[in-house]
Amino acid sequence: MLTRLKDGHVVDPANGRDGEGDVFVEDGVVVDPPGDGRTADETIDCRGLVVMAGAIDIHSHIAGGHVNTARLLLPEWHRAFSARPGETALSKVGWTTEETGLRYAEMGFTTVVEPAMAPSSALHAHLELADTPIIDKATLVVLGNDDLLMSMIRDGESDAAIADYVSWTVASSRALGVKCINAGGSAAFKENVRKFDFDDVVPDYGVSSRQIVKTLQKAVKALGIPHPLHVHCNNLGVPGASSDSIAATIRAAEGDPMHLAHIQFYGYGTDGKRRFSSQGRDLAELVNSTPEITVDIGQVMFGQTVTISSDELRQFAGRGQASPKKSIIFDHEANGGGVVPMDYRQKSYYNALQWAIGLELFLLIEDPSRVFFTTDHPNGAPFTSYPDIFALLMDRNVRAKWLDALPKAAVRMTSLPEIEREYTLAEIATMTRAAPARLLGTVDRGHLGAGAVADISVYRPGEDKAAMFARAAYVLKDGDVVVKDGTVVKRRFGRALTLRPEPDKAMKTRLDRYFDDRYGLKSRWFEVPEGAIGREDPFQVVPCRA
Amino acid sequence: MEIAWIDGKPATRDEALRVAGDLFAKARQPFICGLRTDVSGLRAALALARQAGAIVDHGASSSIYGLISAARDAGAFLAAPAEMRRRADRVLIVGDDAGRVGADVLKLLAETKPDLGVETRKSGRRFLALSRQAVAIDPGSDISHLDCASKDVVDVLGMVRAKLAGRRVAEGPVGAGAVETLAAFLGEAGFAAIVFSPAEFGEIGTEMILGLAGDLNDMARVSTLPVVEWPDAMGAALVATWTSGFPLRVSFGRGAAEHDAQLYSTERQLSDEGEADLVVLVDALAGETSAVSGFARPTIVIADDPAGPSAAKVVFKVAAAGRDHDGVLYEPRFGSFVGVTGKNQSGLPTAAETLDALAGTLGGTAAEAA
Repeated sequence: MLTRLKDGHVVDPANGRDGEGDVFVEDGVVVDPPGDGRTADETIDCRGLVVMAGAIDIHSHIAGGHVNTARLLLPEWHRAFSARPGETALSKVGWTTEETGLRYAEMGFTTVVEPAMAPSSALHAHLELADTPIIDKATLVVLGNDDLLMSMIRDGESDAAIADYVSWTVASSRALGVKCINAGGSAAFKENVRKFDFDDVVPDYGVSSRQIVKTLQKAVKALGIPHPLHVHCNNLGVPGASSDSIAATIRAAEGDPMHLAHIQFYGYGTDGKRRFSSQGRDLAELVNSTPEITVDIGQVMFGQTVTISSDELRQFAGRGQASPKKSIIFDHEANGGGVVPMDYRQKSYYNALQWAIGLELFLLIEDPSRVFFTTDHPNGAPFTSYPDIFALLMDRNVRAKWLDALPKAAVRMTSLPEIEREYTLAEIATMTRAAPARLLGTVDRGHLGAGAVADISVYRPGEDKAAMFARAAYVLKDGDVVVKDGTVVKRRFGRALTLRPEPDKAMKTRLDRYFDDRYGLKSRWFEVPEGAIGREDPFQVVPCRA
Repeated sequence: MEIAWIDGKPATRDEALRVAGDLFAKARQPFICGLRTDVSGLRAALALARQAGAIVDHGASSSIYGLISAARDAGAFLAAPAEMRRRADRVLIVGDDAGRVGADVLKLLAETKPDLGVETRKSGRRFLALSRQAVAIDPGSDISHLDCASKDVVDVLGMVRAKLAGRRVAEGPVGAGAVETLAAFLGEAGFAAIVFSPAEFGEIGTEMILGLAGDLNDMARVSTLPVVEWPDAMGAALVATWTSGFPLRVSFGRGAAEHDAQLYSTERQLSDEGEADLVVLVDALAGETSAVSGFARPTIVIADDPAGPSAAKVVFKVAAAGRDHDGVLYEPRFGSFVGVTGKNQSGLPTAAETLDALAGTLGGTAAEAA
């Protein structure tokens, strides 16, 4: 069936389109306008509407053991719990896999990446993702605090052997990329280390965080994994130490691609009487001048949320700020992690400045293809707050209103009031569509050229940008209309995007022995069998680069 | 082979499904329980519950609820058994049930020595049991025993917390010396693991044990290894949590999932106080039999080994997950889900297929209701 999205304002920066026109869809993909005079079987009138590719979220914690623990820890924020509060940011997002898929789709998001899948939780994560309707999904598998990798580095094993181990982990867990979270920090915390810098050495291994990051960066490149190593730096959230850590990590990229996650949490200096200040401008300049670096923001928004992280050391340190006062810390193999609820308050100097630092970074990093739109859901805020963030980026008057409500002391510490930039629709489309697809190596999405998967979002423009992006007028997933006027009208299941590198068979033999001897576990438990997912055709393989 | 019965008499599966569907149509409050099945079966059970407005719980959720309630009320430090196998140099075994319920965990700890950690490798692994009953582990293990009745354990651990906080403590049930011993045992650890059965101590006692670990982490590294008698209940709780937002004990009676740990518990629903007027028992896992035997007679049984054709108004014989068909099961040693191959593929319908088919008789597939 040929479908025509007619006369919309097509914003497709990947193909240089920013004006009125049509988009044709057939058999789930975007096609060229028919040249043989065929008329469309179905026409969607998009006059006055904005047409973009489906949005891609590259970093949102939506599935896996830690996410499920957050659901378990905070039943009081579920909308149907008897002791629930009224409307809160967290109560609106819902908790279930079902609601995650529906709420994302309603905003025009069609692909979402779970960025912190432990190898031991891979099957669990994929089971949850398989239960998340409509959207396509992908995962990043976490390495960098695991005994085997650190031992291999310590023992001087070859780059090829390490790449084989990384390859086996990616293939077994069906990941789309590799993430490194506070490299060595969780392992050090298990030795009762309470602070861990980029050049600190993990006790018992004698390898530094820098060595781990560089080793993984090299392995990812050697394997042709399209998405560069995705790095969560050391000292997240620690004033001074955080900005030092991220600066050191950026300099360590040394010309090779590297993605840095939720950098807002590293934009903290120690100026002022509260010893908490913005390093947003300096960090943005460093990103601007380091072209091999891409970043996402991790914007903080005000309200109740919960932090979910495989940075066990950071989560342990943050448990003192838990609100409500409870947290769960995991001492698992490799990273471990923690779940700590957080209430970001608009009247708090610290939280207000965190909010401002995120926006400084969004607005001062010049190239929208190198800065990505995230709240690190739910760490900075639930993903349902995205429409408000679009409005803040696109309208300086909206920013001014928000700034008026903040503590004056916080406003004095940020350059945000002086920043005049307003994101255009094309820049929004670059940041949330074209650039993420390039970053992930998923060439079939993020644009509206012929051959692209027909994931399309149509918005009703207006002065109120938050309203525009909160409820898409139409969303097409693989060519099916799944959302109309902000409401899901068709429920279907997407797929998980995965790489399938081919590790050396000898590595599998080695890992069979390693997991059995050292942990008493079977290596096949780390594998995600296709038949275990319980959905037809659950995966789509994305090729590695040659 | 007969695979379905109505009123104790053999029937076709379609006939049994039709009668079961009629029972659902007439029921005011269905209750789907047992839940001894794989992830596919759990998904199907939850979808059926949503479609039918049913209450849903695992037959042995009481074995995990002490942990769930304590953790969500006050937080926790939780460890993976495999990590503790490599890292823990001190293992505190708390209570009388841990030795039996956690025999597998204690065995893997007793058979190995810590090999991760500068401090933990120095002294090997030592065990201390705070219990009335002696704990039987590998005879070569370094284990000490502090005699303490189960009912006194929580008080003693409270005294340890007070001692660690620098407060004076009384003699208590085991004497101040024993409290000193416990505090020193944990305080000197490179990494300590506390093994206990939450069902033995309930929510309040579990909260005390988790709190002790929390206190100790201000200075040292300590975590806990809760052991549960019915690990598949934990798997069911995890699936229920991502599906409904809640760890079992959920009602879909008003459409959206509602959670009440008392109102929607198996114990209450199968007692005279319960609202359930139709009980569906799902019991189709390889291994041990029903965790809800001894309760009231169910209306519909979906089981690999039903007690007999008269076990319920309608009975379905199904394949056992992990034995008669492949499935995804919760594996406590791994702390997560694993794929399991059925070694005796029976060709019988699975619990998931039967629940889906039953949902189909209600006017839609279970998958659509999810």
